[in-house]
Amino acid sequence: MASWKPYDEMKVMGQRQPRLDGPEKVTGRARYTYDQRPPGMLYGVLLTSPHAAARVVAIDADRARALPGVRAVLTDIHPTGNVRFAGEYVAAVAAVNKQVALDAVALIEVNWQTRAHVVTLWEAIDEDAPRVFADKDNVTESERGDGDVDAGFSQAETIVEAEFFTQVQTHSPLETHGSVAAWDGDELTVWDSTQAVHGVREGLAKALEMPANKVRVICHHMGGGFGAKLGPGAYSVIAAKLARQAGAPVQLMLSRKDQHLSVGNRPDSWQQLKLGATKDGQFTAFECTTWGSGGIGGRGGVSQPYVYSFPAWKQQHHDVATNTGGARAFRAPGRPQACFAMEQIIDEMAWKLGLDPLDVRLRNDGNETRHEQWRIGAERIDWPRWRRREPGAGAGPIKRGVGMGASIWFTGGRGTKAQMDILSDGTVEVRCGTQDLGTGTRTLVAAVAAEELGLPIAAINARIGDSDFPYSGGSGGSTTAPSVAPAIKNTAEKAKAELAIVVARHLGVAADTLSFVDGTVRVASGQTLSWREACAMLGANAVSVQGEWQEGLSGSNVAGCQFAEVEVDTETGRISVIKVVAVADCGLIVDRLTTESQVNGAVIQGISYALLEERIMDSETGRMVNADFENYKVLGALETPEIDVILYDQPERGVIGIGEPPTIPTSAAVANAVYHAIGVRLRDLPMTPDKVLRALEGA
Amino acid sequence: MVPFDLVSPRNLRDVAESLADGRGEILAGGTDLLDRLKERIDPPARVVNIKSLKELYGITEDSGLSLGPLTTMTEVAGNDRVRHQYPALAEAALSVATPQLRNMATLGGNLCQRPRCWYFRSNDYPCLKKGGSVCYAVTGRNKYHAIFGGGPSYIVHPSDTAPALIALGAQLEIHGATGKRMLPLHDFFQGPRENLLHENRLQRDELITRVQLPPAKESTRSTFLKFREKQSLDFAISSVAVALDMDGDTVRDGRIVLGGVAPVPWSVPAAVQQLQGRRLGSAIDDAAEAAVEGARPLDENGFKVTLTRNLLRRALQQLAQGKADAR
Amino acid sequence: MNEHKNDNEEAQSAVSRRGFLKGIGGGFIGSAAVGTGLLGEQAAAAVTGPPTMSGPQRITLHINGTQRQLDVEPRTTLLEALRDRLQLTGSKEVCDRGQCGACTVLIDGVAVLACMTLAADVGQREVTTVEGLAPEGQMNDLQQAFVAQDALMCGFCTPGFVMAGEALLRTNPTPTAGEIRMGVSGNVCRCGTYPKVFEAIEVTAKKRRS
Ligand SMILES: Cc1cc2nc3c(=O)[nH]c(=O)nc-3n(C[C@H](O)[C@H](O)[C@H](O)COP(=O)(O)OP(=O)(O)OC[C@H]3O[C@@H](n4cnc5c(N)ncnc54)[C@H](O)[C@@H]3O)c2cc1C
Ligand code: SF4
Ligand code: FES
Ligand code: FES
Repeated sequence: MASWKPYDEMKVMGQRQPRLDGPEKVTGRARYTYDQRPPGMLYGVLLTSPHAAARVVAIDADRARALPGVRAVLTDIHPTGNVRFAGEYVAAVAAVNKQVALDAVALIEVNWQTRAHVVTLWEAIDEDAPRVFADKDNVTESERGDGDVDAGFSQAETIVEAEFFTQVQTHSPLETHGSVAAWDGDELTVWDSTQAVHGVREGLAKALEMPANKVRVICHHMGGGFGAKLGPGAYSVIAAKLARQAGAPVQLMLSRKDQHLSVGNRPDSWQQLKLGATKDGQFTAFECTTWGSGGIGGRGGVSQPYVYSFPAWKQQHHDVATNTGGARAFRAPGRPQACFAMEQIIDEMAWKLGLDPLDVRLRNDGNETRHEQWRIGAERIDWPRWRRREPGAGAGPIKRGVGMGASIWFTGGRGTKAQMDILSDGTVEVRCGTQDLGTGTRTLVAAVAAEELGLPIAAINARIGDSDFPYSGGSGGSTTAPSVAPAIKNTAEKAKAELAIVVARHLGVAADTLSFVDGTVRVASGQTLSWREACAMLGANAVSVQGEWQEGLSGSNVAGCQFAEVEVDTETGRISVIKVVAVADCGLIVDRLTTESQVNGAVIQGISYALLEERIMDSETGRMVNADFENYKVLGALETPEIDVILYDQPERGVIGIGEPPTIPTSAAVANAVYHAIGVRLRDLPMTPDKVLRALEGA
Repeated sequence: MVPFDLVSPRNLRDVAESLADGRGEILAGGTDLLDRLKERIDPPARVVNIKSLKELYGITEDSGLSLGPLTTMTEVAGNDRVRHQYPALAEAALSVATPQLRNMATLGGNLCQRPRCWYFRSNDYPCLKKGGSVCYAVTGRNKYHAIFGGGPSYIVHPSDTAPALIALGAQLEIHGATGKRMLPLHDFFQGPRENLLHENRLQRDELITRVQLPPAKESTRSTFLKFREKQSLDFAISSVAVALDMDGDTVRDGRIVLGGVAPVPWSVPAAVQQLQGRRLGSAIDDAAEAAVEGARPLDENGFKVTLTRNLLRRALQQLAQGKADAR
Repeated sequence: MNEHKNDNEEAQSAVSRRGFLKGIGGGFIGSAAVGTGLLGEQAAAAVTGPPTMSGPQRITLHINGTQRQLDVEPRTTLLEALRDRLQLTGSKEVCDRGQCGACTVLIDGVAVLACMTLAADVGQREVTTVEGLAPEGQMNDLQQAFVAQDALMCGFCTPGFVMAGEALLRTNPTPTAGEIRMGVSGNVCRCGTYPKVFEAIEVTAKKRRS
């Protein structure tokens, strides 16, 4: 099995390395898909359905076609003409500028035949509810479990039952989804804001019924995805078709509204939980009934029982279809919902039993790594001091409290290939068909290569984000780092070996007497060559090798825990998060700086989910009323707390991914802190002032 | 945006003429107008860019203070006279939107901006306020809507400066085709029962040319508190503007105006009555209670009653403690 | 009145002479303006309506120290002008409604939102975009600090934050921690770079002071 060199011998990996594409991004030179401007490019705009359930009877686009400046109009982009949520794409236009394209869309007339719709989970589970799919119930039931739950509950000395709700959250990447499509004869180049250049290539080739080798997908920079950009998008296909019709490149970026409506979300949940424990806090059984709606997409899963060990448990789940945009993977799908409910019922149990909530967790947490993390986190937030404070005990209208939550994520690596060229002038280029979502993948690729070759990171040209490069999977599931890092190491190792053979032959020594350190090649006998001198021996015969993912260099099962300190204004209902301590499992850290940023970002998204974000649906019209950034409230600078990131190094586990796990426990920790502050539990996300005031009034 | 002509008037007469047929709309900072133009809501044929008119700029000191309608929120909030003598206005201006928007947003525009009701702001809903036949908010999603004075439309007036200016006794100078008139800001706004389509009493050829504040009295204490769900950017869920004329600790007279809770800035004389002739510190709860008397919340906005009551209580407490700069 | 910067536009100078404020209304030439530019102000007012721009017209924008000519309609926003006409794609389009700050530019040194500004309303005022903070291929100190502190992830919000930070430091060279937060409170970052953005601005403020 492959292995990394000892951590303390690493010169590049594990350091605080500013990301390599930083200079391009801060100066505005980085070209995202949104910024591509191939010559003659047209601007595409979609016409979307204003109805949640309707059939397209006819589309009259004659006036749009006749408008000067319009170059292409498509009225057949909906696969069935049977629309199932407000926001589905029904027609598209490409024109010389965006204003004209918008004018044209406004001129298209659609004859709709509307049907009854259901846009909330509550409506959809009603027996008489209109069906989202004619041939299928709105609700799909399933059951999972382990052990004898009834026996478990009969052993319990205390039972807590509680109900929790979580909202629909949209991914809201700042760069909306979209593509620029350009044809050159029968070859298609697509710039796509995507988490998977190869996946998009396969998908596009299939949708357009053309050979995959004629499609090239490029994504040099992309403005965030969070799971929503893992698959090929209908908009990419539409862009390609518009481009073909117009005979010119077409850019089709979704509007902010389209983005909220049509390209994924984190499904909501309704969870009824029942937890049994002995009087010293040992769990005996757990049972839950859950519902979740992923719109028309299914995937409303809630990952119970989350994290802790239960001798017996059972989950009855209801996946509910509604006439809303389909859910997509969103930063640890299914987990934040489950964690929010589970961590609260555990907290409830602990306070009810008069036990320390932390002790109860430790007693039922089977993960050894996390035991150590709990200890570190508790110390950093000064839990021993806080635990003495009774919930709701603070004086004055503004009260403080501390709460906690835990997470696990089963990331791991998978097949990725890479290619490396070493040229005789010393140039090193490494190519890999992965992509950088803002996670720092480009920097990771260069860091791993530099480490292996004994070069400074600046000596590596890391090229990613192109389907012409060797295969790598989609960047999702926190798999990118554990997939890519081993592949790059393996590739660099092979390249180094080839270079060593050439150099050794030139010097008349054995290849295994050479070592590559600090930008030099050293011979055991004492001689030292500069990197360039060594590479010059290649002549015209450059090194060019392929490598791939290897066992032994990456790990999985990422544990973590968080503590949050909050302040609740009991007169206005405002919750402010003061501080979050995030202890994050991170295995072998490739870049400390970007890793810290990942954890910060995950915590911030978690707070945003806890306090602000919510897709608000209007039942009558079936539309989302806040498909913007004014009323869909994404956390801003004034809501950002102090975040204490503790990277829990375990280099022996190899490289792991940490993009998702640290977002899981934040909302739970905040909710428990709110209870600790005011002595009243908030069971419904987001914890907005109206809910706080109502809860306090009911208390 | 639907195409329009962009007019650069040379004088106030040009403005009146460009607006006279009702198909023109004034452009000041544009932060409200562009939002509606992009959404294609009631598109005007003509956009009249009053930024070409010098006389509409600047803050001048007379016995009181005279503010040009093109004064930006940043300028209002940063003006020393405003900060020291009319703190409620400075606080209100500073609470508007975001730094960038405050650099663009003008005082005239702030008073004349249209509602933020999400049904109004989307072209998908032909609601009452757009000449349609239903209010979607009554039976729909109304968490941010009116708890006072609603019906048949339930918008809240979004302006932050309006409650503060009314509390401070501001007057408007208004110009139209037939000349100029003065109007107390208090009488400027109108609710949906008076006029569904217009939130203020400007004639269609008129514009605000000056916002006039009366002389500040030593004995006046004023403050403005705004509650936002999201601190970084949010309209008022509820706001309170208070200006009290004090005789030591005793309240002589004053004005209390609520924002974000009614289709117009909502004056609550009943709350002032509770304070009159009493020591401020002793009358706070009564005033706060009186202020929300008669609130008629919708399904989802009942919390605004509690919130508003508490916010007013807090504002009065801060004034009682002499903390004029309270947030 | 400031001297207009563009001598080759005769009609434009006529507009300027008629007493338009710097940069307001002077950036375009409506047909009426062309016609009246040769007459005195009084006569113009009597004979025709006010200068009016209808339909596409050529304007000159002063951007990052250069003059750029382009055709716009009255409804063209500054953001569209920059991104779609002038290929200055550093300013980002994210919400297109004034809600996120990604399109922040400086006009005469003041931070404003390009998506809520009409291109034809910019006139002769100087526009600075993120591309104009430092010579091509270089970074200014704030941009360097953003890189060093890792105040960016996907980077899509970053130009807006850099511009908001720059505007803050120009008006307030010694911001407190609270003022820094307030200074970038009009910018949204979905990746969650705020803590590092605060650091980058703080570090730069310190550096500029010494
Ligand atoms: C994201 C966002 C957040 C916001 N947050 C807030 C907030 O927190 N608080 C708040 O109060 N506002 C807020 N606003 C609304 C708005 O930006 C401000 O109210 C601003 O002050 C409007 O001024 P303006 O100069 O930009 O107006 P414009 O858009 O130029 O004009 C607005 C309206 O007023 C009319 N008008 C302008 N000047 C005059 C005049 N002199 N006489 C007659 N009519 C005139 C125009 O015709 C137009 O109908 C926000 C806006 C946005 C986009
Ligand atoms: S509250 Fe007013 S603006 Fe909103 S939907 Fe009702 S009528 Fe329209
Ligand atoms: S794009 Fe201009 S503020 Fe969002
Ligand atoms: S860095 Fe991605 S949105 Fe800010």
